[in-house]
Amino acid sequence: MASAAGVVVEVAEDGRHLSLDRGFMVVSEKGRELGRVPLDDMAVLIATAHGLTYSNNLLLALLERDCSVVLCGRNFSPAAILWPLDGHHIQAQRMRAQADITDAFKRRLWQAIARAKVRNQGAILQALGHPAGAFEELARKMRTGDPENIEAQAARRYWPLLFGPDFRRDADEPGINGLLNYGYAVLRGGTARATAAAGLHPSLGLKHSNRSNPMCLVDDLLEPFRPMVDIAVHRMVSDGLLEVDRETKRILAGLLVQDLRTDAGVTPLSTCLFRLATSLAQVLSGERQVLDLPLSPLPLEIARGPSGKEGAHATQRVSAHVDDGDV
Amino acid sequence: MPLSAYRLMWMMVMFDLPTVTKTDQKAATRFRNFLLDEGFEMSQFSVYMRFCAGTPQVEARIGRIRSNLPKRGKVQILTFTDRQYQTMVCFETRTKQEPAAKYEQFKLF
Repeated sequence: MASAAGVVVEVAEDGRHLSLDRGFMVVSEKGRELGRVPLDDMAVLIATAHGLTYSNNLLLALLERDCSVVLCGRNFSPAAILWPLDGHHIQAQRMRAQADITDAFKRRLWQAIARAKVRNQGAILQALGHPAGAFEELARKMRTGDPENIEAQAARRYWPLLFGPDFRRDADEPGINGLLNYGYAVLRGGTARATAAAGLHPSLGLKHSNRSNPMCLVDDLLEPFRPMVDIAVHRMVSDGLLEVDRETKRILAGLLVQDLRTDAGVTPLSTCLFRLATSLAQVLSGERQVLDLPLSPLPLEIARGPSGKEGAHATQRVSAHVDDGDV
Repeated sequence: MPLSAYRLMWMMVMFDLPTVTKTDQKAATRFRNFLLDEGFEMSQFSVYMRFCAGTPQVEARIGRIRSNLPKRGKVQILTFTDRQYQTMVCFETRTKQEPAAKYEQFKLF
């Protein structure tokens, strides 16, 4: 069963050994057990330490459950993601449909995804009190395949408004950029997992077609969700949190269970990723017409955020639209 | 990290299985290993607990337990909310203990 709990596990200390024991991943150091996590609950395993050892059985068990294993390089940017070869029972059929897709169709799909991203960027700026009408305008103006590169035009306005005129998005810089990298790594892990579970090939992208990028489709599908990381980082920076440490990582990892709205109702972000990937597979096979994209978050939802400080036992809201995330 | 829209649940599986004959012992071990494979952790001998992210998951797990029951013996499953779990009073060697680690969305090792 696809895990509804969506636990993100990071191993950041050197000298740790990860192994399998029945239904658990066991983390140990010099033969002493430090902790265990039920495999069914795991969504993403992030390895940031360098001196780690793994048992092969563990990696296989994680891949069987479509848990993404993200190996991080310097400054928390992902160097590799282990990806299951067989994620869905009609995978071969879906990949064939994916390979046969026409360029015109690709451009239309990309337009829908990039529009959702620009609208979400606008929603976030608006919630922070910036004039954001231009973003709706840009989204509307975007043509199929985005030939004018409106996505980049939006980005040029977006970053200075969000983090000030001096901010530069540079993956190698520390501080805000490190936090963004970490948030995107979590998001990327979640998206890779959703892509695998939907039986799609990660290398056959819609827009991203960088020859050296084996995860083009993953990078396409996560675009509309990036602004959720951005606003979380913005909130942390306003709280004076600038370091990638335990506290900030906990908040960023929690993004996967933050509620988002789609046309199908309110579900955690990780489930929205599954919905988007599955809807793409269905659009490709002609079973449905439109992608299941996240709707722009409302200002109130943005203000509330993933309330990282309250811990797991905070007030429990029971939504009428909840589903269990089993896709 | 709150799983805001979920009802956070715990499942407690308690069992009393015969272990007189070799066959019964084997069946008991099989069931115990099944629970471990499903991510249940031992709380005491014959008492296993697991966190679940919502009622549908609880029902799915109960279904799986039902189809993996040993032929003989008694199994009881109790389901309660995370909030109730937090009110559990634990004693060990006469000393009061906190309930085992809280459920966390992010685990750092």
